[in-house]
Amino acid sequence: MTAGILHAFASQTFPSPTPSTVPGANIFTSAFILSIGIWGPVVMAFVIGVLPNPRGRYDTLIKQIAFFTNLMVLFILFVAYNQFQNFLPSLQYEENRQWLPAIGASYHLGVDGPGILMVMLSALVGIISVLASTGIRTRVRSYFALLLLTQACVTGAIVAHDLFVLVLFWSAATVPLALLILGWGGPRREAAAWRLVGYWGAGTVALVLAVAGIYVATGATSFDMEVVLKAPIGARAEVIIGLALLIAGATRLPLFPLHGWVRDVYSDAPIGVVVVVASSASRLGAYVLLRVLVAGEPDGAKLLAPLIAGIAAVTVVYAAIAALRSVDIRHAAANLALVPGGVTALGLAALTPLSITGSVLSLFAGGMASALIVSVFATVSDRAQTRNALALSGLAARMPKLAWLTVLAGLGVLGVPVMASFTANEMTFFGAFRTQPVGAFAVAAGLALTAIAVAVLIQRVLFGPPNPDAPAVSDSSLSETWFLGLLAGALLWVGIVPGGPKIPGTDTPLFDPGVVNQMVANIPEIAAPYSGTTTP
Amino acid sequence: MTKYVLLLPEALVVAGAVFMLLLARFAPSRYRRWRTSLPVLAVLILLAALAVELRVGADVGSYFGGALLVDRFGLFVKAAVLLATAVGIAVADWGAEDSISIGLAMPMLAAFGVMVVASGGDFLSVWAGLELAGAAGVVMLATRRPDSALRLLLLGTAASALMLIGLAYVYATAGTADLGGVHGALLGVAPTLPLAVPVLVLLGALIYRASLAPLQLGAAHGLAAPSPMSIGLVTGLAAAAAVVAAVKVSVAVGAVSVAFSPYVEIVAALAMAGGGAGALAVRSPRTRIAFLAAGQTGWVIAGLGTQFRGGIGATIFLLGALVVAATAAPAAAGAAGISELAVSGLGTLRRARAAALSLAMLSLAGAPPLAGFFGEFTIGAALARSGHFELLAVGLLGSLLSLVAAIGTVRVLYLQNPPEEGRRGLVALPVWTRFSALGAIALCVVIAGYGVFANPISSLADQGAAALGLR
Repeated sequence: MTAGILHAFASQTFPSPTPSTVPGANIFTSAFILSIGIWGPVVMAFVIGVLPNPRGRYDTLIKQIAFFTNLMVLFILFVAYNQFQNFLPSLQYEENRQWLPAIGASYHLGVDGPGILMVMLSALVGIISVLASTGIRTRVRSYFALLLLTQACVTGAIVAHDLFVLVLFWSAATVPLALLILGWGGPRREAAAWRLVGYWGAGTVALVLAVAGIYVATGATSFDMEVVLKAPIGARAEVIIGLALLIAGATRLPLFPLHGWVRDVYSDAPIGVVVVVASSASRLGAYVLLRVLVAGEPDGAKLLAPLIAGIAAVTVVYAAIAALRSVDIRHAAANLALVPGGVTALGLAALTPLSITGSVLSLFAGGMASALIVSVFATVSDRAQTRNALALSGLAARMPKLAWLTVLAGLGVLGVPVMASFTANEMTFFGAFRTQPVGAFAVAAGLALTAIAVAVLIQRVLFGPPNPDAPAVSDSSLSETWFLGLLAGALLWVGIVPGGPKIPGTDTPLFDPGVVNQMVANIPEIAAPYSGTTTP
Repeated sequence: MTKYVLLLPEALVVAGAVFMLLLARFAPSRYRRWRTSLPVLAVLILLAALAVELRVGADVGSYFGGALLVDRFGLFVKAAVLLATAVGIAVADWGAEDSISIGLAMPMLAAFGVMVVASGGDFLSVWAGLELAGAAGVVMLATRRPDSALRLLLLGTAASALMLIGLAYVYATAGTADLGGVHGALLGVAPTLPLAVPVLVLLGALIYRASLAPLQLGAAHGLAAPSPMSIGLVTGLAAAAAVVAAVKVSVAVGAVSVAFSPYVEIVAALAMAGGGAGALAVRSPRTRIAFLAAGQTGWVIAGLGTQFRGGIGATIFLLGALVVAATAAPAAAGAAGISELAVSGLGTLRRARAAALSLAMLSLAGAPPLAGFFGEFTIGAALARSGHFELLAVGLLGSLLSLVAAIGTVRVLYLQNPPEEGRRGLVALPVWTRFSALGAIALCVVIAGYGVFANPISSLADQGAAALGLR
């Protein structure tokens, strides 16, 4: 399947999927399906917030409410994913209502191929983050209410098709995340939370300035992406706006040198929050670059492409070297989690249809891989009672489940075959070597360094001689195995059957039409301005 | 007679305030018997006035030879002020106030003052309304802190003196005190220095009253600190009176906006950045609210510099959000608002009040998706439209600082355990009553619903800007 996709893109043609009936399709329809995905968790967060919980009596019930809310959202959005018509380039599940007519802002939601992929990522991460949070014992009500609000904000930013709505949800995510870290984080939670607020806040300032620039340059009548991103605004304005967007995206994804929040947040936030941040919330940075810069400002994107490719390369190389030098395994994992973002940025910088498609898949695969590597090392450090890599050794025999998951996490970051990140990296590099050969080579070299870092880390922690002086260790609990397994499973599922499983002997999808089939909708239109792009 | 129905809201508010004062003075036994019910009565009077205003306020009228005008601008401002006063009274902890009669009458008089400013058709009525609102704040403060009241009185007097000088010069130049007449007379006048100076003095005095006076109060600590309602009155209603006056005067002298726009921009930038930085530098929730309000007032002032319908419409839109949050937030914090320790764990002990305080502070900080965010975003769009990107950037940075400060207080409210009673000091938690809980819920609904219903509200604000004569 992967080979077929690659072949299709290499020959500059896109697969032309035809409408096909998927078992389970059309069992649920709603004109507000995306709004349900956003506001459902908000309503349930409110319910959890007002639920009386004397002395933690209903802690389990609250966790169940959060879990089943996310399960319901996942189910609804999976139905939307199944019914998504990948042969249409237009927005689907569209909702459009006037909100602030005085400035031309509207409540405009909709998804195309990349959007439906990100929505699925967000919904899946919702379930996983709740499973990863079952160990929360204090202020359970507040924790899960804030977690649901965070997920709603991330979903809202993904499906927003109006720049006002995008800014609203993009910036709103910061408040609950900061409170989650402040309330349930580790010893350095203060630094983690305020760094997150500072960097993401700076990114929000940059995004608002970019949005304001687009608004003014297009006549100051609308924030609707359908309107403002199709209007020509001149190369100079596009470059200035593009720089602001790059700062906004780089603070979230994150990219060097705006990655200052990563180490503290990934090593001191509660694991459930780390899962959300590392997977879906941080991918919003690349998603905004794709949605606004690449799709809307082609002149700016072309001129800034070498810069973005350079930043991507520096990010990957820096991440690998920093991981190699880290003694704290959670810091090492936090640095390794930067790598997929660098690959995603490279794909966006290359501006070829194939590399953009690779970037889109990398949003999903990179998000999962980043979340897996950070959370698996967080679990290892919890179970081993130390974060010091020098004190950890030979854990594989004593924590076999975690050992497997750690190896899968390392492979996921590297993008080896059978992992979803492999398909994404393949597409990205095949596309990028045509237009950004230097950047692609540098990122590839960074990946080689990353392989060394992963190998050293895994060898040191899992397969070295056991340290008799190390504290006692235990393997992952059932809930930890489940949430880590789901992350690893998603990476493997998309890696093994990117086109979805088929009924044996037929071309009919079994129940999943396939990520690579769904996500390509609208990518040809996004890539159209760059069809003649050559090496600068 | 039917023509005067349009003034019924003002009459109801004044009658309510006078009733509160007279009841305590001339019927003390009944006052003692009814004192717990008086806040409910005051809220009902304000809501009745609001209902009448919404019902008949859409009509247009002119009274007392053009001194008072009823138009969409007045409708918006009066509705916002009546709602803010009602919610503030409802959410207040009346156990922390020194006098219920004064505590109810003064906010109502201040609201009346803002209503007069909003309806003012000439300099005199605008000035009178402004002074009434300011005087109500002084009286309210004086019940516990005569020194603070005296300071506010002196500051207010200085501002008034400057304002009167400015008004006199503008009157001399335009030949009329009528706002519409001034607007027309200045259309063909070149913005010379002799005209620019009084305009600057006039607007400077108004902006000073709007954004700086609250800072004088927020810093007062200790048991003798001003009562929560008096802080709300000064940071919310009295400041709103000055802002509304500034809007009206700036539009009237808009023809020479080139003379005052740069000054307004600098003041706005200082207020936005200074408000955020100040909020970050202090820990007391009450002081933080005062700085957050000053920061958001900076956004409102920034909107004044745009001088086109969309920009002034956005200013009015944010003003509605500001007046509700700034009036009600100190009242929601109650006496415990003087220190961070005193409000620790309020989210566990007084859930509705803590939610109201959190939402109000986050709204003042411009956090989405609350009322303040929508207002600041619309002003941001207007600033971008008028090319003030540098001012927008400063405002966004100020809002970021404000947000960090607001998150800090929300964290204390919800993520810290309540201290032992002995450690809380002598500051009592706000008393829980069903009425105050309802008030807190109403405040939450207003602040969260402002964005949901942004379409009709911003449309009304836009019509308000049009009523001022802007296109």
